[in-house]
Amino acid sequence: MQVTLKILRFDPAKDKKPHWETYQVEAEPWDRVLDLLHKVKWYQDGSLAFRRSCGHGICGSDAMLINGRNRLACKTLVKDLGSVITVEPIRGLPVEKDLIVDMEPFFAAYRAVKPYLINDEPPPQRERLQSPEERARFDQGTKCILCASCTTSCPVFWVNGTYIGPAAIVQAHRFIFDSRDRGKRERFKALASGSGVWRCRTAYNCTEACPREIPVTQLIEEVKREILFDHF
Amino acid sequence: MYRGREGQWAFYLHRISGIGILVFLILHVLNIASAMWGPEVSNAFMKFYHQPVFQLGLLVLIAGVLYHGFNGLRIILMDFTAWGVRYQRQLWYAVWVLFVVFYLPFLLKIGGGILGGSHGD
Repeated sequence: MQVTLKILRFDPAKDKKPHWETYQVEAEPWDRVLDLLHKVKWYQDGSLAFRRSCGHGICGSDAMLINGRNRLACKTLVKDLGSVITVEPIRGLPVEKDLIVDMEPFFAAYRAVKPYLINDEPPPQRERLQSPEERARFDQGTKCILCASCTTSCPVFWVNGTYIGPAAIVQAHRFIFDSRDRGKRERFKALASGSGVWRCRTAYNCTEACPREIPVTQLIEEVKREILFDHF
Repeated sequence: MYRGREGQWAFYLHRISGIGILVFLILHVLNIASAMWGPEVSNAFMKFYHQPVFQLGLLVLIAGVLYHGFNGLRIILMDFTAWGVRYQRQLWYAVWVLFVVFYLPFLLKIGGGILGGSHGD
């Protein structure tokens, strides 16, 4: 089938603002959007810039705004989109070139919630044991691949500028609800601040955008309640 | 426009109706405060607000208050129950059912007044 691929392009060396370019690509229905981008880059216009690494939905490099929704280019099939496909860079982060954005603000928010086990108690003789139920409590958050689909689908993140965003809160949830972790209060410094969880207005774009099917809004609400009832 | 679903529109409408209600409250307080300058000023304001266009504004205001109120209840359920987030979409449709039920009497009374030319007087 013939696919019309519209890509929002931006070259900092010569463009003042982004502009649309249209490409005609021959594709199979089971091709992924990533395959189409490859066809453009390899056979039509080598200057097209985008990120991808594993190409199998695990590395989280190729989150893009495809037909109006954030998705991974490597997990989105042509047959689910139709014959006209639009691709834009994810929103709310500075565009460096074409579909490549500066991820640094995203990772700064990630670091702010201290995404690692914090426990100053003396280490036990063996492992820090955990029951299956305790492990299941934070299972959803462990699926995150830091692709930024959720954070850059959030209307508050687009306009707020300092909101740490859904992904950072999901990462915080993964440790806050880990029975071995003792760093809850330290994480709350970032999470309970003016740019933390209270900026969430439950628009659910994050939950719908997540390519790992993490119930992102659910986890954010759980962190909100944990902060709210912490001192009772 | 980002192609978000129910949740996104619930949020946008909540924000717009909230700002609308705030603007009304400011106008309302100013209107009442105008009595400080005597009955002539106050009556002039009242006369100004009795123009037909403000009856339409009243319908919009009531719509805003009803939506903001019912969706506020939805948000409380999402924030304070374990199940609210799972059923947010159904809750939003419930908001609209309540909205229609509560809005109809206002629409009939005030809308009928506008069409009948009574301007709520």
